[in-house]
Amino acid sequence: MMNYILRRFLYMIPLMILISILSFTVIKLQPGEFGSQYFSNPRVSPETVENLRARLGLDQPTYMQYLTWVKGIVTEGDFGYSFAYKRPVAELIWERMGWTVVVAGSTILFTWVLAIPIGIFSATHKYSIFDYVFTFIGFIGISVPNFFMALLLMYLVLSMGGTEVGGLFSQQYIGAPWSIAKVIDLLKHIWIPLIAIGTAGMAGILRQMRGNLLDILGEQYVQTARAKGLNENVVIYKHAVRNAINPLISMFGMQLPKLISGTIISAIVLNLPTMGPFFYDALINQDQYLVMTFLMFSAFMMLIGNLIADLLLALVDPRIRLD
Amino acid sequence: MKKFFSLSLILVLVLGLSFTVGAQELERKVVSDSLIGEIGEYGGEYVISLTSAPQTFNYYGAIDWSTFSIMTNVLDSLVEANPVTKEIEPGLAKSWEYSDDGTTVTLNLRKGVKWSDDEPFNADDVIFTFNNLTLNPNAEANEVSRYEIEGEMVEFTKVDEYTVEVNLPAPYGPFMKILSQAPIAPEHKLAKHLDPENPGAINEAWSTGTELSEIVGTGPFTIDQYSVDQKLVLKRNPNSWRYDSEGNQLPYVDQLVYVFVQNSEVQLAQFQAGEIDQLTISGKDFPMLKQQEVDGADFKVLTGKPVNPTPSPTHLSFNFDIADKELREAFRTLEFREAMAHLIDRQRIIDDVYNTLAIESGMPVVPTNKAFYNPEIEELRRDFNLEKARTILDDLGYEDTDGDGIRELADGEDFEFTLTTAVDSQDRVDIASLLKDNLEEVGIKVNLNLIKGSLVFDKALAGEFESMVMAFGNQPDPQFRKAIWQPGRALYYWHLSTMGENDQPVMENMFDWEKEIFEMFEKGQVTMEHSARREYYDRWQLINAQKLPVIFITKGMDLSAVQDNVGNYYVNDNGIIVGVNYTVYKK
Repeated sequence: MMNYILRRFLYMIPLMILISILSFTVIKLQPGEFGSQYFSNPRVSPETVENLRARLGLDQPTYMQYLTWVKGIVTEGDFGYSFAYKRPVAELIWERMGWTVVVAGSTILFTWVLAIPIGIFSATHKYSIFDYVFTFIGFIGISVPNFFMALLLMYLVLSMGGTEVGGLFSQQYIGAPWSIAKVIDLLKHIWIPLIAIGTAGMAGILRQMRGNLLDILGEQYVQTARAKGLNENVVIYKHAVRNAINPLISMFGMQLPKLISGTIISAIVLNLPTMGPFFYDALINQDQYLVMTFLMFSAFMMLIGNLIADLLLALVDPRIRLD
Repeated sequence: MKKFFSLSLILVLVLGLSFTVGAQELERKVVSDSLIGEIGEYGGEYVISLTSAPQTFNYYGAIDWSTFSIMTNVLDSLVEANPVTKEIEPGLAKSWEYSDDGTTVTLNLRKGVKWSDDEPFNADDVIFTFNNLTLNPNAEANEVSRYEIEGEMVEFTKVDEYTVEVNLPAPYGPFMKILSQAPIAPEHKLAKHLDPENPGAINEAWSTGTELSEIVGTGPFTIDQYSVDQKLVLKRNPNSWRYDSEGNQLPYVDQLVYVFVQNSEVQLAQFQAGEIDQLTISGKDFPMLKQQEVDGADFKVLTGKPVNPTPSPTHLSFNFDIADKELREAFRTLEFREAMAHLIDRQRIIDDVYNTLAIESGMPVVPTNKAFYNPEIEELRRDFNLEKARTILDDLGYEDTDGDGIRELADGEDFEFTLTTAVDSQDRVDIASLLKDNLEEVGIKVNLNLIKGSLVFDKALAGEFESMVMAFGNQPDPQFRKAIWQPGRALYYWHLSTMGENDQPVMENMFDWEKEIFEMFEKGQVTMEHSARREYYDRWQLINAQKLPVIFITKGMDLSAVQDNVGNYYVNDNGIIVGVNYTVYKK
């Protein structure tokens, strides 16, 4: 097992290098660069922009910019410097990590905790009224874009006289010490992103769970289990669900990068203090090392997520051997 | 020229009730009545919003609107432009005199001013700021280009603790206006960030990760608390030197709070929910908010005559240097541009694009700018008239010879060009679409090219466009916009061949009227007397109106919504919105 994990980590190195080259190329293919935005400002003379480019190393060839960046990471663990914020990139990302993980984590939790039981219920009560209701809700969740759902929910809250729109806290609680009132205020705000972002993911998982379980329930071994007189709950939870859930574990691995990079547009619409809007600004400003670090981090999470999924799968399904 | 350009008119009283703090008594500034409708009450917080969090707290460290907006509450300039009347008033300098030849300015600093950490403010801070920040080419938001006159730099020297002498290479008319946009920073906090090895290090001072007690100022507020990307709280500076006419120290509010809300819909929602006290709104939100106000909501919506640089007035430009010979010929012909001017339906643009909340643009000085606006241009504005446009185009020989509804150029090709504009600016996109319709009505084919706002400038300055709908902000003094409107300067993008190496204009590539505009700007810069400067800039506006280097379209009005419990936020008798962070109060 350790051998396998080690090998997977080694495979990640060339993969990350490839991803980084690709990402850097794409960033550089964008027209314009960090200095471009300043031309609109008559306060800034073109010489100042030239000066700025030279200082930031933007006048060097693309491959040199890339190599300098990689060298910094390898030799000093330095992920570069944000052009806009004049601060180390790692520091900036770290500052925003807390709320990002809280929002994304609770959304993922919300999604899975609701989706799996509903999926099982829908499968076992196939074509019942509940099944149709949940299927309907599921399709609405998939087809309505997250950001639109967010706007809709905010509109509803506002038109019903509520004031909890946008952000995670009312203005007076931001930066205030923790208290019962602050937690209540958080709960009053966080349900909108949970529902807006969560429903789409929930619908996908719900449908997947339902489909898998229906497949399995038609298998002969389930028939056998029933025939030998096992309790229906044991048939479903011990025999059927355990097999039906395997593909979902792979899906779970894919959720990890979403912790930091998912739902950018919704986060902007909902004014969440997470990484999404921050990343979006960095992309627009072409703050290249910030974007790169962010993308690399996201890719790394994806690889780790896959590894964890594979390990979990081996744990859950004894038929799978890693070595 | 007047011997003393002294300020008898706007002389602000520095009487002060004499309570002594340390050795030096504070010379207070009593804030002009133009900013205070009524004497306010102390207390409360005033919450406003910005669309993005500041990149840094260093005013000179990044060109960032949020940083500028926030730090102007914390730092003060030597002189300040009255936010309403735009007249120059004393700031950290309580008075100033010009020498006879207009090249030396003596600034007398306000005595007894202290930084918010109780360190005294003096001439060393001024010298430090200009030498290491304002005029430091390595500071990202430096202002070097404004202080360079005829190739030489303005020099600041300390005479004594409270006197600074400025040497101008030549008389420089707008000098005081320029000073009003250079806030003075504390030497005792920033000097340690200078690094001779790494000249860019100054940009890293006062970054958003800095201990907030390090950031001190002389302004009405100081920074108290920052929650990353969410909110910034500024509190009253106990050492503030601004007072109202009854001797109350300003500001009135205890806290000034900025919340960061990226999406304008959410800003609006939060304003309606009462979370934000004041919001600058756009024309499209106006009808809904006004209706709610009429229906009894707890806020009011204010419309004011445009006085500020933004919303930037739009204009239509044609590339005089385009490679296509036929098009170049057309674009360079005054009659063609006149025909285009006849195709701009300003009234419809004002009604449809701006919900009637815009005015016809000046050329380009805003009409409220009493110091520089030339009303003669109004008579020269071409009316919207398709028939006139058709006649002019016929007379120029652009006729539809093959009967496909599109006129032909002399070489038989269709008369067709692209119109570029910023896709992220809804008003410009709408204006461009209306223009396209009108042009096609008279037989000219237009292809819209909508691109990202920041790229529009790249394209413009590279000459990669045929025509463009663009906008540049106004400024109180035309000299500030020299880089745009003076032929041959860095942003004169519609005629790039007038632009030579090292910012040297190429006179032989200019039209005669461009040479005259060039002259006017040169003269306006080195003249100290306002009436003389005004004549030069009147002439410039007139030439703009006659020769149409670009065709000015519209300027949006100032629109603002404010909660009813905010005092001293109102529209004054001249129709201008008044509302300054240090004079508003909570009822």
